[in-house]
Amino acid sequence: MNILVFTKRVAATQEEELRITGEGQAVDLSKVPFKVNDWDNYSVEEAVRIVDKSGGSVTAISIGDAESDEVLRRAIAMGAKDGFLVETGDILNDPFTRGELIRSFIDKEKVPFDIILTGVQSEDDQFGAVGGVLAGLMGLPYASMVIGIDAVEKDHVIIRRELEGGLQEKVKVATPCVLSIQSGINEPRYVSIMGIRKASKVERKVFKADGYEKGSPKIELVKWVYPEKKGGATMLDGELADVCGQLLGILKEKGVYQ
Amino acid sequence: MSYTLIVAEVRRGVFEERNLDSLGLGTLLGGEAVLLVPDGAYEAADKLVDAVVKIKAPEEVYLNPMNMGKILEAVFAARGKPDHILFTQSSSGMEAAAYAAGLFGMPVITDVSGYDSQAGVFLKSYYSDKVFGQFKAAGAPAILTVRSGSFREFAAEKAAAAAAEAMEGAPSVEARTFVEYVEEEKADIDITKAEFLLSVGRGIGNQDEVAGYEELAGALKAVLSGSRPVIDKLWLPKARQVGTSGKTVKPKVYLAMGISGAFQHIAGMKDSDCIIAVNKDPGAPIFQYAHYGIIGDIHKVRDKLKELAKG
Repeated sequence: MNILVFTKRVAATQEEELRITGEGQAVDLSKVPFKVNDWDNYSVEEAVRIVDKSGGSVTAISIGDAESDEVLRRAIAMGAKDGFLVETGDILNDPFTRGELIRSFIDKEKVPFDIILTGVQSEDDQFGAVGGVLAGLMGLPYASMVIGIDAVEKDHVIIRRELEGGLQEKVKVATPCVLSIQSGINEPRYVSIMGIRKASKVERKVFKADGYEKGSPKIELVKWVYPEKKGGATMLDGELADVCGQLLGILKEKGVYQ
Repeated sequence: MSYTLIVAEVRRGVFEERNLDSLGLGTLLGGEAVLLVPDGAYEAADKLVDAVVKIKAPEEVYLNPMNMGKILEAVFAARGKPDHILFTQSSSGMEAAAYAAGLFGMPVITDVSGYDSQAGVFLKSYYSDKVFGQFKAAGAPAILTVRSGSFREFAAEKAAAAAAEAMEGAPSVEARTFVEYVEEEKADIDITKAEFLLSVGRGIGNQDEVAGYEELAGALKAVLSGSRPVIDKLWLPKARQVGTSGKTVKPKVYLAMGISGAFQHIAGMKDSDCIIAVNKDPGAPIFQYAHYGIIGDIHKVRDKLKELAKG
């Protein structure tokens, strides 16, 4: 099995306060650290596991600026054989543009594959749509929210999809296909700095995104806005001991703590 | 004639409640609202739309994105293309919406939680609700997935009952087929029964910290639960997950520590009687839903609470 797995370098904003600049033109990410998209980390791990069991090779592909090389080195350290960077300085907000660029790249470079893995979504834009758009464009079978790959056969895979409320559905998908991997599908291996340093010695190929079609954008970002303020919480202020005392007082008042 | 096509989500015989949000957005968009639903004993919201198209196909066939592509083709052939196609923001809705966008070359905006009819822009979450983008579709039909809880109050009854029509289901594709449902394993504890939940999130940092929160839960006689990142990392078992893909809980008190408040988590706990959030980021979305909030280092709050609870 030849597996293509997509990996994206994203802003790690969970612990950060975000600021919108100007009249809503941009979100200031200048002080935010970057990391591999969580969902892609699970996808790379899953790709490597499939190949460990069934043979073949994993090619990691990243769409992004030169800095995205970092997530390719990481994927190689995890077990990917090759790393391809489709280099672009543009922020591709439109999942359709992304899907079209990937389709055109795979087509033009004749990249061989049996399975394409993407993460369900990326942490930054949370569109959760690139995998599906790509499958639709390429006319390939598709499944998303993949939380288990139970069998990889010659012409199909048996997977489990995560539904709501803890329910899953088992589905048979013919290969070649596109699968979008849900977080929690596996336990991604630890990647050491030494491992990444070693992976740096494996050559990564760089392709300029300009050489491929991405069509005209189908959606337009008009502006950025902050979330609408709802009621909001009553904030407990003061010294640590005081704040914690107030919290215990609320628990007592609600009758859950004596 | 312009119309909005609302693709209903049904699962194991249930017309999902989040369809109401698609119906509500359908009302806001104006024009004729046409509901697509598989033919069966579903409690379809016939009065909330102008027309219902019942697809003669079993639920599992209808929910399959590849079959949905064929079904949409048939609807376009019969009625022309709509201005908007609405799916639910759910496991199956997201899947079918994105696939259809690629298949038909249509714009797609997911997780839509607001609509400004004056400007014609849709609100979509970025960075776990820390900011939102206002998006415009460059062409029609535009495919949207609708966030649960965002528009249901706008779903309005029509003067006349909807005209119902049946349509043959497309032959089911071989390339992807449903095998069976798999239920979650039975767990030692049912967090939906707890009166007091102490819930931890990504902010706890690393696995070594979990023990300290277990101790705090013990000291406060609370049950420990967690958000998705904590469950994904296997720091807590799956049965302890609060959120759309885990459990929906309504305890007397929900104490959230280090949880920023992704929408999928909020959906699983927003109906708790009292929500208390502790987070170091004052901009964390969870503070919008909490009754009480503390901005600070969660480990320090944990240790102080333990100390006071013992004293």
